Amino acid sequence: MKEKIKIVFFVFCLGSVCGGFLSGINAYTRERILRNQELKIKTAVLNALEIDYPPEKIEEVFSKNIEKIENKGRVIYRTAKREVAILFSGPGLWGNISGVLALKPDLETIQGIQIISQEETPGLGGRIAEKSFLERFVNKKTIPRLLLVPEGKAKRENEVDAITGATMTSRAFEELLNKSIADFRLLLKKE
Amino acid sequence: MKIYRLIYTRAGRIFVNGVWKDNPIFCMILGICSTLAVTNRVENALAMGAGVTFVLLATSLLISSLRKIIPARIRMITYMLVISTFVICVDRFLKAYFPRISEQLGPYVGLIITNCILMGRAEAFAIKNPLGYSLLDAFSCGLGYSYTLLILSVIREILAFGTILGRRVMPGTWTNWVIMAMPAGGFVLLALYLWIMRNLAKLEPEKGGI
Amino acid sequence: MQTHPLLIFLGAIFAHNIALVYIIGMCPLIVISKSLKTALGMGISVVFVVILTACLNWLIYHLILLPLGVEILAYLIFIITIATSVQFLEMVIERFFPPLQATFGIFLPLITVNCIVLAISLFMVLRDYDFIRTFAFAGGTSLGWALVIVTLAAIKERLMLTGDIPKGLKGAGITMVILGILALGFMGFAGMVKM
Repeated sequence: MKEKIKIVFFVFCLGSVCGGFLSGINAYTRERILRNQELKIKTAVLNALEIDYPPEKIEEVFSKNIEKIENKGRVIYRTAKREVAILFSGPGLWGNISGVLALKPDLETIQGIQIISQEETPGLGGRIAEKSFLERFVNKKTIPRLLLVPEGKAKRENEVDAITGATMTSRAFEELLNKSIADFRLLLKKE
Repeated sequence: MKIYRLIYTRAGRIFVNGVWKDNPIFCMILGICSTLAVTNRVENALAMGAGVTFVLLATSLLISSLRKIIPARIRMITYMLVISTFVICVDRFLKAYFPRISEQLGPYVGLIITNCILMGRAEAFAIKNPLGYSLLDAFSCGLGYSYTLLILSVIREILAFGTILGRRVMPGTWTNWVIMAMPAGGFVLLALYLWIMRNLAKLEPEKGGI
Repeated sequence: MQTHPLLIFLGAIFAHNIALVYIIGMCPLIVISKSLKTALGMGISVVFVVILTACLNWLIYHLILLPLGVEILAYLIFIITIATSVQFLEMVIERFFPPLQATFGIFLPLITVNCIVLAISLFMVLRDYDFIRTFAFAGGTSLGWALVIVTLAAIKERLMLTGDIPKGLKGAGITMVILGILALGFMGFAGMVKM
């Protein structure tokens, strides 16, 4: 009996020490982690709009060049040259894909795409975050609809080469991009 | 002469065992998952090696100093509690200060909890040895693990991307061996590494066939 | 439109196999793949434990941890859930199904430290799955892992008959080579869905 009490006491002590220690760590790092996430979105927006920045001055460059417009919960980033960037987020094959889509001043041609987070399979769908894939979208038209076609078959200006072996991810990504562009257009029309 | 004698002391033996004779990867074949999964880039391998070494040291410190109070019947669950606590620390630390590496490692940071090296060292060494030796053992095992990761990741990153730590080292005409960044390349490379190291360390093959 | 659970299930078995693409769950693959029979036993035990713990962990995470705002404890709680449910399962089998004890009993304690059990709970949180998808994902992933360990054991049994393997490659080394070739083969599944 005495041994049992000792065990329960020990587990209780250890558990509370661990728990207390972790809440301390949590409180200490929370702010920094939130700031990192914000910084990440800003970096992605700058990259998508092809604005150069020194790594330590992201905030400064961002606030100097980009105007943030909030409208009914949607955020639009606009530059002085009237290029815009929108955030997109939605399901991929495995998990959520989120990123930034930048359009040229005509609001039809893609200026750049950046991925902020994705959970796709490394080596297959995970390649959507690679630079070489995202570069395929540059200068493509989003009207009437962006299409991902089998690798090497892209001819028209609204067609983009998909990733071989990652059909499901490519399809989900296509769906996601078109949906966010359509939402964005709707927002423009209303104004 | 003096250095040569040093390896015959107890501390020296523990060190040599961890780094070479009982190396966690090529002798004990522990922690293979992370060895393969994170070695496609040197940066990730360094972070992983440091993370595992830190958790090893911290766990050994705690387990070894508490070894007289930990009730024998629940020692496994104690190891787990202690290990997970420190792994969460590492995870948070990476998220806060090295967000890029944390993202690339993804779930593998959390999986340090089930890395058998940690449980193995706690059970085989820290629970029955004094603090100093336990720390030394943890450090040498961590070192043994880290340098293996480093060797594999250097080879894989050079062949797969032509870079080390993101810096280009191969000439412009170099064709990337994409397969080396993939699991298949990792498996075969690890097989070759095991072959070479086991021969160098003159290990007897396991009994009972293959 | 989130991915259909059936697609998650099939994808997790083949093209996105946890052992060959994510390289998780290696230790038992190396140690317990010497005979087909034990590999099969281990495979089935893992399927069972993984589905059970993933569902439990989902419930705990979404009903307790998230409302209380203590996600930081997630790893800790997950591993405790896993350890306890494995212990519990062991007791149940011992008490009510003694014949199974001989076949699966020896594997259960090993599963606690098997990374795929924890990995599935971690992925479930990272990917923000609902309950049905967690179930499909856990089922698919564990079946995929079982498929790999059974295939591996079958190949190794054959190889044992010819048995001329260099000394240093014996054991873990040759297992890695086989897994490498299997991984190459499984890459072929990725092309099965056409655009």
